[in-house]
Amino acid sequence: MNMFRSITIGQYLPGDSLLHRLDPRAKFIALLLFIVAIFLVNTYWGYLILAVIVTTFLFTSGIPLSYFFRGLRPVYYIMLFTLLIHIFFTKGGSVLLRLGPATIDSYGIYLGFYMVLRIIFLVVSTSLLTLTTSPIALTDALEYFMKPLSYLGVPAHEIAMMMTIALRFIPTLMEESEKIMKAQMARGADFESGNIINRAKNLVPLLVPLFVSSFRRADELAIAMEARCYRGGMGRTRLRELQATPRDFLAVAVAGLIIAVIAGTGL
Amino acid sequence: MYRGVSPIEIIRAKGLGFKYQQADTGECWALRDISFTINKGEFIVILGPNGSGKSTLAKHLNALLLPTCGEVWVNGLLTSDEANHWQIRQLAGMVFQNPDNQIVATTVEEDVAFGPENLGVPSAEIRARVDEALELVGMAGYKKHAPHLLSGGQKQRVAIAGVIAMRPECLILDEPTAMLDPRGRIEVMETVQRLNKEGITVILITHFMEEAVIADRVMVLADGRLAMSGTPAEVFMRGDELRALGLDTPPVVRLAQELRLAGVELAPSVLTVEELVSELCR
Repeated sequence: MNMFRSITIGQYLPGDSLLHRLDPRAKFIALLLFIVAIFLVNTYWGYLILAVIVTTFLFTSGIPLSYFFRGLRPVYYIMLFTLLIHIFFTKGGSVLLRLGPATIDSYGIYLGFYMVLRIIFLVVSTSLLTLTTSPIALTDALEYFMKPLSYLGVPAHEIAMMMTIALRFIPTLMEESEKIMKAQMARGADFESGNIINRAKNLVPLLVPLFVSSFRRADELAIAMEARCYRGGMGRTRLRELQATPRDFLAVAVAGLIIAVIAGTGL
Repeated sequence: MYRGVSPIEIIRAKGLGFKYQQADTGECWALRDISFTINKGEFIVILGPNGSGKSTLAKHLNALLLPTCGEVWVNGLLTSDEANHWQIRQLAGMVFQNPDNQIVATTVEEDVAFGPENLGVPSAEIRARVDEALELVGMAGYKKHAPHLLSGGQKQRVAIAGVIAMRPECLILDEPTAMLDPRGRIEVMETVQRLNKEGITVILITHFMEEAVIADRVMVLADGRLAMSGTPAEVFMRGDELRALGLDTPPVVRLAQELRLAGVELAPSVLTVEELVSELCR
């Protein structure tokens, strides 16, 4: 019954570290810049620099390391697959091992581990953002970035509100699907055996009631929101207005500097 | 919009009727010719069996539904005038039955802030109102909590705080305890009573007879009509009529009734165990 447990999206852990206190917009931009840096890195020396930066934040964030490993779990197979593909199919360098017609080359191993490191960096640095930033702050940041688009008719506020509500209801709907699953299993439904097509078919009796109840919830929520004077983004204030401090500009500047150093030195 | 409203009156319904279309049977009157006034600071309980129109009536008191005929005023504002709707909804806050389906945000404090945010209250003042409202419902220690990790009673108290933060005159609760365990029910009822003592008018819709005992006034709805209205003692005196409507009196009231029939002399106002005990020990 743990099929829903490993999803860490929006698993915000409250805290008081530097990362927690940074403006979500600054964190967002800094993360984007950092991801660019990850892709720019050419050598293991470059990764060493990134590793120092990431581990510093890992340990100062006050978030248990197990959370990051949990975030990596879904990509284990991707990492393994990437590694094997490169080891067997990337040619170059010296031949280390000959297995009939196939060879394992040194460059393949080099590139394989290199790509795996890249994936690890991507996942861990993104988790650093999602684990230290509340979903609300994240949607606030997204709303801010989307604001220019509202002049083109993009409903920026509505999209942000939908994301907030989606995040709010993910745990509720998970609880509900577990409840429905147990109820169906108590009456002999089988969700765990058979091939993938059968298992997908068996999910229908789970999804139908879940859909029905979601619509009912949406209806009730809409009435409750209206009762609390919700009328779209116009004239709305916020409990927490985003306020960028010099620290936030510094964070973005530092991330930019990392890119510059990596690109400049060719690391 | 003021029409000679006395200063203490908060809600007035006059000849309120509501009709809706049903797919199979056609038109259906959910409410018929309901008239009443509610004064500031009162604790009103609306009772009624399933399908009696309780929830429909509640939704008329903050302009979520508009009368087919008749009129409803909230603080002198006519609900059928759309220009009044937002002010009415601020004045008459509403708490719904299902605690899960009325919490909007991912943390307790953000959810309580939702109403004031919609009203355009400045940030600093929202913060003050959120803290005050959470204090009032006894949830001040849960500001950063995720709502789905709270118990039903706690969620319902957060929902009440969300309404209180809008500074309403009047709190309408539509079966707020129906989905709660006994402990959650006690938490919510204590909170509501405390808020009433602070001066907020409370309109509680329920089908738990015990909850009606603490009311200043009880209104009984049956088949869309206002069947009875009066103090809890007056209404529960008419036990046979209540039973005919599919309602029942609280066990203590029934026990007192039986005792009276058996010849024990009791005051007609016995509604709670404590009152019965003190009457019997007299």
